[in-house]
Amino acid sequence: MCDACGCQTHIHDHDHGHAHAHTHDEAVIVDVNRSLFAANDAMAKSNREHFDEENLVVLNLISSPGSGKTTLLEHTIDRLGGEIRIGVIEGDIETERDAERIRAKGVPAVQLTTGGACHLDASMIHRGFHRLQKEPGGDSLDLLVIENVGNLVCPATFDLGEHQRVVLVSVPEGSDKPAKYPKAFTSSQLFLITKTDLLPYFDFDVAEATREARHLNPGLEVMAFSATTGDGFEAWLDQLRNLVSQKKKP
Amino acid sequence: MHEISLVQGLLQQLHDLAAEHRTARVTKVTMVVGPLSGVVVESFQFGFDILTREDDLVRGAELEIVIPEVSYRCSGCGAVEKTAGQRPRKCSGCGDPILIAEQGMGGDVILQQVEMED
Ligand SMILES: Nc1nc2c(ncn2[C@@H]2O[C@H](COP(=O)(O)OP(=O)(O)O)[C@@H](O)[C@H]2O)c(=O)[nH]1
Ligand SMILES: [Mg+2]
Ligand SMILES: [Zn+2]
Ligand SMILES: [Zn+2]
Repeated sequence: MCDACGCQTHIHDHDHGHAHAHTHDEAVIVDVNRSLFAANDAMAKSNREHFDEENLVVLNLISSPGSGKTTLLEHTIDRLGGEIRIGVIEGDIETERDAERIRAKGVPAVQLTTGGACHLDASMIHRGFHRLQKEPGGDSLDLLVIENVGNLVCPATFDLGEHQRVVLVSVPEGSDKPAKYPKAFTSSQLFLITKTDLLPYFDFDVAEATREARHLNPGLEVMAFSATTGDGFEAWLDQLRNLVSQKKKP
Repeated sequence: MHEISLVQGLLQQLHDLAAEHRTARVTKVTMVVGPLSGVVVESFQFGFDILTREDDLVRGAELEIVIPEVSYRCSGCGAVEKTAGQRPRKCSGCGDPILIAEQGMGGDVILQQVEMED
């Protein structure tokens, strides 16, 4: 049972089967060999099982601040709100603003404020999901999108239990982001190049960014679009439609 | 600085171990920090220094950090390159830029060994 909500979690923590040794000066040496990610990974696994039971597709959006995550969500809701039931968990260090932007679209949204922490972790998502389910419409969703804290480094190390991790880079940020922040790209399944309407004004090279990202992760899917003009946006919407319809199949 | 939250998790594990072994003092901690883990060794050391200062159990403990080698297999010629340093930009044999990192400790951060007073 989970302390926060009493729901069934499946976490098998701590096995105490480690080796033991005593040296001459009576120091105790314990071989632990336990990952510091183990606790988060166990919680992420239990989140994923929970999402699967609900036939819910879960995405984790990671990018630098200002790459266009919230804008992407707003336009996605405008376009898909009538056919797919969407819910959103917003992560931010301090403010409620992004959740308010999403609620204004008539979609259930929960804001998690990390109080200084630079990433979301699986237990925050666990609690956030229970809050979301209590919101109007929050208990019958097809797609849950988590907008992580704006940061390309820290969120990449924490599995939240998502099905797909989506990394975004906007055209003004430059095409060298994959080489500079490899973990965000090696751990993601989808790479979105955003704000392509600004390509005429910046020396961003879509082919180079794609190549760099695929050097790190050959299986990475890449899409480029502008949320504001809608150019290239259809491919992203189709991706979401496919993910949701695959999940609904028995 | 997610390293701080990882150090907090480490301290929790050390307290559990100390309780289990009925000791009041941890003297040395050995960590394996994979080069692909996304954890910066200097930041981890910094977080450890700061947080252990306020913790009677671990204050003054030595932190040893072991960095394991990662194997990168070239998708062009199949050659394997091993390094504990940065991910190579391309195969030193054929120049192919697509190198597949082999799964293992490279992406993980592991509490390997703890030394405590008896
Ligand atoms: N030109 C252009 N601006 C965009 C686009 N998408 C987002 N923006 C702008 O980028 C800024 C940051 O967007 P936001 O969605 O809040 O980024 P977030 O921090 O990743 O959530 C806002 O001023 C948006 O209007 C786009 O496709 N084209
Ligand atoms: Mg935002
Ligand atoms: Zn951080
Ligand atoms: Zn080669």
